[in-house]
Amino acid sequence: MAKVSVLNVAVLENPSPFHSPFRFEISFECSEALADDLEWKIIYVGSAESEEFDQILDSVLVGPVPAGRHMFVFQADAPNPSLIPETDAVGVTVVLITCTYRGQEFIRVGYYVNNEYPNPELRENPPLKPDFSQLQRNILASNPRVTRFHINWDNQEDRLEAIENQDPVLGCGLPLSYTPVKGLGHQGGIPSLLPENSMDCI
Amino acid sequence: MCCSSFPGKPIFSVDIHPDGTKFATGGQGQDSGKVVIWNMSPVLQEDDEKDENIPKMLCQMDNHLACVNCVRWSNSGMYLASGGDDKLIMVWKRATYIGPSTVFGSSGKLANVEQWRCVSILRSHSGDVMDVAWSPHDAWLASCSVDNTVVIWNAVKFPEILATLRGHSGLVKGLTWDPVGKYIASQADDRSLKVWRTLDWQLETSITKPFDECGGTTHVLRLSWSPDGHYLVSAHAMNNSGPTAQIIEREGWKTNMDFVGHRKAVTVVKFNPKIFKKKQKNGSSTKPSCPYCCCAVGSKDRSLSVWLTCLKRPLVVIHELFDKSIMDISWTLNGLGILVCSMDGSVAFLDFSQDELGDPLSEEEKSRIHQSTYGKSLAIMTEAQLSTAVIENPEMLKYQRRQQQQQLDQKGATARETASASSVTGVVNGESLEDIRKNLLKKQVETRTADGRRRITPLCIAQLDTGDFSTAFFNSIPLSGSLAGTMLSSHSQQLLPLDPSTPNSFGASKSCTEPVAATSARPAGESVSKDSMNTTSTPAALSPSVLTTPSKIEPMKAFDSRFTERSKATPGAPSLTSVTSAAVERLKEQNLVKELRPRDLLESSSDSDEKVPLTKPSSLSKRKLELEVETVEKKKKGRPRKDSRLLPMSLSVQSPAALTAEKEALCLSAPALALKLPIPGPQRAFTLQVSSDPSMYIEVENEVTAVGGVKLSRLKCTREGKEWETVLTSRILTAAGSCDVVCVACEKRTLSVFSTCGRRLLPPILLPSPISTLHCTGSYVMALTAAATLSVWDVHRQVVVVKEESLHSILAGSDMTVSQILLTQHGIPVMNLSDGKAYCFNPSLSTWNLVSDKQDSLAQCADFRSSLPSQDAMLCSGPLAIIQGRTSNSGRQAARLFSVPHVVQQETTLAYLENQVAAALTLQSSHEYRHWLLLYARYLVNEGFEYRLREICKDLLGPVHCSTGSQWESTVVGLRKRELLKELLPVIGQNLRFQRLFTEYQEQLDILRDK
Repeated sequence: MAKVSVLNVAVLENPSPFHSPFRFEISFECSEALADDLEWKIIYVGSAESEEFDQILDSVLVGPVPAGRHMFVFQADAPNPSLIPETDAVGVTVVLITCTYRGQEFIRVGYYVNNEYPNPELRENPPLKPDFSQLQRNILASNPRVTRFHINWDNQEDRLEAIENQDPVLGCGLPLSYTPVKGLGHQGGIPSLLPENSMDCI
Repeated sequence: MCCSSFPGKPIFSVDIHPDGTKFATGGQGQDSGKVVIWNMSPVLQEDDEKDENIPKMLCQMDNHLACVNCVRWSNSGMYLASGGDDKLIMVWKRATYIGPSTVFGSSGKLANVEQWRCVSILRSHSGDVMDVAWSPHDAWLASCSVDNTVVIWNAVKFPEILATLRGHSGLVKGLTWDPVGKYIASQADDRSLKVWRTLDWQLETSITKPFDECGGTTHVLRLSWSPDGHYLVSAHAMNNSGPTAQIIEREGWKTNMDFVGHRKAVTVVKFNPKIFKKKQKNGSSTKPSCPYCCCAVGSKDRSLSVWLTCLKRPLVVIHELFDKSIMDISWTLNGLGILVCSMDGSVAFLDFSQDELGDPLSEEEKSRIHQSTYGKSLAIMTEAQLSTAVIENPEMLKYQRRQQQQQLDQKGATARETASASSVTGVVNGESLEDIRKNLLKKQVETRTADGRRRITPLCIAQLDTGDFSTAFFNSIPLSGSLAGTMLSSHSQQLLPLDPSTPNSFGASKSCTEPVAATSARPAGESVSKDSMNTTSTPAALSPSVLTTPSKIEPMKAFDSRFTERSKATPGAPSLTSVTSAAVERLKEQNLVKELRPRDLLESSSDSDEKVPLTKPSSLSKRKLELEVETVEKKKKGRPRKDSRLLPMSLSVQSPAALTAEKEALCLSAPALALKLPIPGPQRAFTLQVSSDPSMYIEVENEVTAVGGVKLSRLKCTREGKEWETVLTSRILTAAGSCDVVCVACEKRTLSVFSTCGRRLLPPILLPSPISTLHCTGSYVMALTAAATLSVWDVHRQVVVVKEESLHSILAGSDMTVSQILLTQHGIPVMNLSDGKAYCFNPSLSTWNLVSDKQDSLAQCADFRSSLPSQDAMLCSGPLAIIQGRTSNSGRQAARLFSVPHVVQQETTLAYLENQVAAALTLQSSHEYRHWLLLYARYLVNEGFEYRLREICKDLLGPVHCSTGSQWESTVVGLRKRELLKELLPVIGQNLRFQRLFTEYQEQLDILRDK
C-alpha cells in the first residue's frame, strides 16, 4: 500500500493572470517515515495534440518526511508562452501535479485549465497572435482527476532479502511478482544512476 | 434493505463487526478492489436510516488493486482483514487521531467518517486470496488462495508466517476455524475438504466422498464450524446428483447428514454464533430441552435457507432473494440478525425473533457446557459473569466505581480528541490550521540541495497516534528490546473477548423433534434511498460555466489519457531542449512495454503497474539480546582479545593435562585443579573503554619506564577529559573499571584497586591463582581466577561478598564454557554458560542458583499473556532480563499449546512465574522483582488461585500490630512490602471472586495508615 496518500490539493489564487505563478497547497499523509525525499512536479500541458509541448514548470524535493500529516505550498512559475502553440493558447488545457518516490510516480493529480480573455471584446474577437498578458487562467479546482499508481516503496535490498526469506518451496509461483514493471524496477533501486539529462516524456 | 457502494458491482463478502455497530463489505470497485465499512444502525432502525445526520457509510478503502473476495473482523473487533485478487491480505486498524475526511479526488462529497488505516500487508500467496479467517483467540490469521495453499499468519507479529498448509490440489476457496482452536478446515475445488491440526499444522483428515460429483463451479466455498465445535458444514457438496451442504461430525469425521434442498451449488454456510435452547412456554412442563445450533445456507440458486440443528426441515427458506448468487453471510453477535450479500451488488438484512430461534444460552451456560466438554477452565470471569456477581461491601463498590469512572474518563478523553481533530480548524501548537495555511508559503523552509534543486521541508500538521501499538507492531525494525513484550501485551487485550466465542456443547440434537413454528423471516426495512448510499462515479463532465469554448471539448478527450498515464522520474530542473531525447526515451519505453506485455497479462487486471514484491520486512528480534545487553553493559572498545570482559566471552575449561603445557612464571604456579580457565597473556599495551557516558577509558602500557633496570607498567585513566596515571611494578594483564573504581590484575597474581581519581584503595590483593577475568560494577570488584574460583569484594565497605567460591559445581559438565559474566549492581555474580543455563551466586546462602535456562520447557509452555500489564510495564529491564533475553518465544509456544489441557498450562505457567519471582529476588533486582511479582499475582487473580494469593498478601502485609518477636522484614530487595501490597490490591479487586480478600487487606492497610 502506498506509504503516502494525498489528502488534499488546494488551488491558491485562482483564477489569476496567465503570467502569475501557480500555487498549490498540498496536504498529504505518510504512514511510515520515508528514507528518501518525495519529488513533486508541476507539468503544464501546452497542447492536447502532442506531449512535445509539455512543460515541466518546476520540480521540487520534499523532505524529510516522517510519519504523519504534512502540508506545503508548491509554487511554480507560469509556463513559457513561446513554447505553447498559438492555436492552443486560448482554451482548455491541463495542468498535472505528479509525485514520485525513488523515481516511481505514485500519484498524478490533473486539473483542467481554461485560459480565456476576461475582456468581452477580446473574447469576441481574439487577436490572431495570442496576447498572454491579457489572458486569465482558471483552474477547475473543484474537479481534480486523481490517478494513483502502485509502486515499490521499499528499496531493492529489501526486496532481495524478501526473496531469500521466502520459503523455497513457494518459489515456483513467485517470480511473476518480482517482475520489474515497465522498466521502473531498476530505477527505483538506484535513482542516483539515472542520467541527469533524461526528461519527462509522459 | 439493499445497499451498494457501486450499483451492480458484485459484493463478495460481508462481515458484521463484533460490537454490532458496523459491518464491512468487500468487492469490486471502480478499477480496484473495494472495502467499505458501513454503519449498522440505519440498517437496524428506520429512524436512523431517515436521519440525514447519521452516516450510512463510515469509510471506504480502495487500496486493494483488484477485487476483494473476503473481509473479516478479528474477534476483538480491533482489526479488519481483507483478501483479494491482488494476492494480498491487508489488515486494517482504526486510526483515532483524525476525524472525517474525504478521499481526495473521489468527486462526491462523501466523507470518511471513520479512518481505517492499513497497518499490515501480507504477501505470500501467488494467486487470488479467496478467504481469510481469524482464529478464535485472534492469535492467528488464516488465508487461502487459488495457489492451492492455506497460509497461517502470526497475528501477533505480522507478517510472520507460522505455516503454509499444502495438500490441496485445487483452488482453496473457503476456511473455517474450529471454535476451540484445535483445527482449521479448508474446502477447495479439488473436491476435498481438509481438516488441519493447529498443534503441528499437519493434515488431520481429508474428506472427499461427498464432493466426488462436484464441479468447480462456485466462486467461493465458505464452510462453517458450529459454535459448539461438534459439526463442520461444508459448502458445495453433492448427494445423489443434488447439491447439498455436507454435515461432518467432529467425532470421527463422519459424513452421515447433509442439508438438502438448494437447486444449485451451496456457496456459503454460516453458523449462528449463539447456541439456543427451546423457549420455555408458560404453563407447559419445563422439561429441559437439548441445546441446538442455527445455521444459514446460501446458494447459487439465489436463495437462502436457515436451519436449526434440532429440526429436520429448514426453519425458513427465502427464494430468489437476489438477482445473482449469494456470496457471503454474517450473523450479528446476538444471533438474531443476518446480513447476506450477493454478486448482484446488494446486501440484505433479515432479522429473527427469539420466538423463532429460541433462547440463546448465556455466556455462563456456555462456559459450563464448554468446560464439561473440553475441560478448559474459564477461571477468568467474563464481563457478563461479573455483572451478575453481587458486590458485598462498599469498599469494593467504590473501587469498581472508580474503575468505571476511569474508563469513562478515558473514553471521554478519546472522544474529545477525536472531536477536536474532526473540527475543520484543527490546532497545531496553539495555532489554528487556518493561520498556518495563511502563512504557509512564507513559513515553510526551503533549501537548495547540492545540485541546486529546491527542497521543501513540509510542515507537519499532525502526528500519527503514538499510542497506537501497530506502528511499532508492524514495523520491520526492532525499536527496542521490549517489542516482543509490547506485542504480547497488546495481544492480551485482544485475547480477553475470546471467551464469549468459545465453544459450548449441546446434546444430540436429533432427539429434539418438537415442531417449531417456522415463521418466515421477513426481509426487513425498506430499501435505502440509493442516492444516499451510493458513491456516484466520477462525473467526467465539466461545468459549462467555466469552459466557455465548446469547440475544445474534443481535445479534452485527448487530455483524458494524460490524467492517468504515468510519467517517469526526472532529475534536474525543467529542460526544454531535450525533446528529442525524450522521444527516444518514449520509444524505448514502448519497447519495454512490449517485452513485458505477456507478463502483464499474467498479472491481475488492474491497469496500473502492479508490484507485488512480497516484501517481508526484515526479520526482527534476532539482535535483540545483544542490543539489550549493550545498553546495560558498559561499552568497550579495544583489541579483540581484550574482549574477554565484553560479552560473548568464552572461557574454555581445560583439563589439568593441558595445564602443564602452559608456560608460567614460578610465582604464578597454582595448586592442582580440576578446572582451568584461560589466562590473558601479557601485552605491551592496551586500551579499555569503561563507559561512554561519562566517557571513561583506561590505558595500560607495560614495561615502559625503566628505573635503574626495573621495568614499570603504567596505568592511565581518562575520565571526561581528566586523567590520572600511576605505575605498577608488575606487568598488567587485565584491567576493569566502573564509575567508582578502577582495578588491574598483574602478572604476579596481584590485584590493585584504585579510586576514580587514581588513589590506591588497598594494598595489592594476592590472588590464589592467576587472574582469568576481572570485572567491576559500582564499588564491587569480581575476580575470576584461572583455577575457576570466584571472588567478589565491596572495596568501599571493604568486605568480601563472595569468597573464593569454586565454579566447579556449575562447570562440572565436561565441555561447558562460560559465555557471559555479569556482576549486578548489588554485587551478585552471574555466570551464563554455553549450555544456555545461567547461575548466580547467592552470598547469603553460599549457593549457586539457577536463574535462567534457555531450554527451560516451563518458559516455553507458560502462557500468562492474559496477565500481562500495559505495554510500558514490559519495559522492565534488569539483570534478569539481560540474562534471559526477552524472547517472544514463550507466547508463541504457548499459543501453539492452545489445545493442551488447561490445567497443565496453568501449572507450567505458575511454576515459570514463581521461578521468575524467585530469580529476581535472588538477583536483588528490585525492579524486576516487583514486575514479576505483580505479573504473578495478576495471573493468580485471573486463574483464581486464592491460597497462594493469600500467602503473598499475608507476607506483604506483615503483622499489623507491632510485636517485638516478629521476624518480619518490612522491605524486600529495597521495596516496602506494604507499598507492594497497595499496588497488588487493585489487581485483586478486578476479580469479584476475591472481594473478601480485597476487603480484608484493604481494611488492614487502612488501619496501618491511620496509626
